[in-house]
Amino acid sequence: MNAIRRYVKDLNRNKALLLMVLPASLWFICFSYLPMLGTIISFKEYRFNGNFLSSIINSKWVGLDNFKFLFKTDDAYIITRNTILYNSVFIFIGLVLAVAMAIVLSEIANKRLAKWFQTGMFMPYFLSWVIVSYFVYSFLSFDRGMVNKIAVAFGADPVQWYSEPKFWPLIIVIVFLWKSLGYNSVIYLAAILGIDKSLYEAAMIDGANKWQQIRNITLPMLAPLMTILTLLAIGRIFYADFGLFYQVTRDSGTLYSVTNVIDTYVYRGLKTTGEIGMSTAAGLYQSFVGFVLVITSNYVVRRFNKDNALF
Amino acid sequence: MSSTRKKLSLGLTSVLAVSLVLSACGSNNASKNTESGNAGGNGAPVELSWYTIGTPQKDVDKVMQEVSKYTKDKLGVTVKMTMIDWGDYNQKMQVLTASGASMDIMFTASWAFDYVQNARKGAFAPIDDLLDKYGQGIKQVLDPAFLEGSKVDGKNYGVPANKELPAQEVWRFNKNILDENKLSMDGVRSLESLEPLLKTIKQNDPNIIPLQVDKTFMPYTPYDYLIEKFPLAVKLDDKDYKVVNILETPEMKQGLETMHKYYAAGYLPTEAATLESSTDIQATGQWFADKATTQPFANNVWSTSYGYPVVSTPQSDALIYNLSVMGSMQAISANSKHKEKAMEFLNLLNTDPVLRNMVDSGIEGTHFKKIDATHMENLPESKNYDMPTFSLGNVLLTYLNPGDPDNKWEEFKKYNDAGKPAILLGFNFDPSKVSSEIAAVQNAKEAFWAPLMTGTVDPDQYLPKAIEKMKAAGLDKIMAEAQSQLDAWRAANNK
Repeated sequence: MNAIRRYVKDLNRNKALLLMVLPASLWFICFSYLPMLGTIISFKEYRFNGNFLSSIINSKWVGLDNFKFLFKTDDAYIITRNTILYNSVFIFIGLVLAVAMAIVLSEIANKRLAKWFQTGMFMPYFLSWVIVSYFVYSFLSFDRGMVNKIAVAFGADPVQWYSEPKFWPLIIVIVFLWKSLGYNSVIYLAAILGIDKSLYEAAMIDGANKWQQIRNITLPMLAPLMTILTLLAIGRIFYADFGLFYQVTRDSGTLYSVTNVIDTYVYRGLKTTGEIGMSTAAGLYQSFVGFVLVITSNYVVRRFNKDNALF
Repeated sequence: MSSTRKKLSLGLTSVLAVSLVLSACGSNNASKNTESGNAGGNGAPVELSWYTIGTPQKDVDKVMQEVSKYTKDKLGVTVKMTMIDWGDYNQKMQVLTASGASMDIMFTASWAFDYVQNARKGAFAPIDDLLDKYGQGIKQVLDPAFLEGSKVDGKNYGVPANKELPAQEVWRFNKNILDENKLSMDGVRSLESLEPLLKTIKQNDPNIIPLQVDKTFMPYTPYDYLIEKFPLAVKLDDKDYKVVNILETPEMKQGLETMHKYYAAGYLPTEAATLESSTDIQATGQWFADKATTQPFANNVWSTSYGYPVVSTPQSDALIYNLSVMGSMQAISANSKHKEKAMEFLNLLNTDPVLRNMVDSGIEGTHFKKIDATHMENLPESKNYDMPTFSLGNVLLTYLNPGDPDNKWEEFKKYNDAGKPAILLGFNFDPSKVSSEIAAVQNAKEAFWAPLMTGTVDPDQYLPKAIEKMKAAGLDKIMAEAQSQLDAWRAANNK
């Protein structure tokens, strides 16, 4: 009884704050927590039967059968390797370049010019992958692409870009960075602008040069944000960007050894049968691996610096 | 006093919050209570909700009001049509069906909101009894092959639209280029017989693509596929109904070798294996020949839509495949509360020219005007009601446009009567027992399919690789399952 009274008192005292988080909580309950119950579908052979709930209840249990297709062939190794390696490279290079770019932008004296660069870098983030794929195609088309035109002008042989797997790891990384760099650097730029200016002034009085200021003030001040964003990215390491690996490569079969990732594998595999249970199973597997990785890396971060950890 | 009021308000807020969540997350209970009122029959008319494909038109509601007036008198139903755009149809219908939304009639086909797949998953109501009771008109107008071929596990789930029935592959030629080079399409039928023509074109004008192919291209082989674009097939004249891997057949091997030869000779587009469609090249007219599926007066349709003359000559017989009878269908939702009324409406739609043309062209005098008994002309207002004719039931009932030949629909009937059933007509493979193998084989197949079919890679080298990879992914197991289902179907149907 006492506990309940204290609880109500607590609620009452914080009601303004609680009301503020109410909309976001509702959003999460509705779109994240309630749908989680749907993971049950990954253990069922989903068939329609009246409304959604009765369909779930009346569908047949199939145990782990829905997961089997993910591990069936040697493709399992290729898609796991591709997904994890690409995402690791994206996370690492993306972090280094975004922070570097943010520092450069913050150091540009002409603020108008800095804004201009920033907007220019930000733009690609809003393009859909389909449009990006046509940009890339205008470079790499065999008979009309710019790269081949230039190569021929210099006397080199034109390359069939869309059937040469060896170039694609590089192309994919470049295209991804071009599209995402602007967005990430803006986040870091905002953090840099929030750093107390008096720190830099004190450092300058002590005779620190630009490089020393960056190394000893900017980077340490950014470290918590870098850790948190990286941890969040690790949680999604098992999710590949479908548009990047499907649209930009023009779904070219000869490139699959370096472009097939979990998401494209699931799409190609299920487009004939459309089994909802199997796609749910793939999603659950991705979330599960992401969950384990976040918990582990968060644990590692905690060992070093408690304040930088997510929880 | 004030503290109790605060508590009260807090309680109210949480009640509100909970009810918000509930109402936002599950909205399909509300409609259930209204059904008992109008199911009685003689009282208020029943409203049928009809989901169909196509770019939503401004005047749909206006036209449906007129349609409802007409159907209210005849059947005691009113119609509410919801159009969903081409690209969204699959996904939106999946969600609507999976969430159990209340729908009565919906468009389905082999290429949009997959008919066989969704019939098996229980999205549609079986209509065999309904057809017998309320759909006699449909049974009379349709060639029996339509209903026979669209059976899923022995039951009908959809009413196919009466239109061209057999599918026939043709070689199409850009007539201007054919004439300029003084070539003739006489004697052309097989892929190999095209060679001298392609060679001449390549020599005379290197800017023109002699044979236009894109990533969807497949050389014609006399086989009937179990699943579209999946390598299992049965030879058209095989009395034993043996399921084979199409890539292991001599016909396909020869086709692929010829394609590779053409590719090496520069007759094909360099990037055919990744080319999504041929629309761009068709717009420029810089092509000489390609492969297409025909229907009566197809040459006229192609010539009008491209803006230059196109002629064609057959490369296969006209056969009725499962795919050709499932090109456009109307199904009744398994959740529908008015299945009988829905069937009565579909029956009228497929037999009554007034209703069919109203649904197709809009309100007479507003959207179109009649010239004589069989011809009509669009009025300017028709831009607000421009519907895809083939997706709305019996096409042979629609009025002719001023430019159409008078005997258009007779020719369609003749063409349909001449078509012979292909070997697997009426058999639909059920993949649910081998779905994880199919998913794996799909991935193995996709890596090789388009490069092989478009001649981009050498079949001597890549064909064995493709076969081996698909075997490793479990193709043999699917093949065995397919064979046993096919044998059971043969036994049941005395084939």
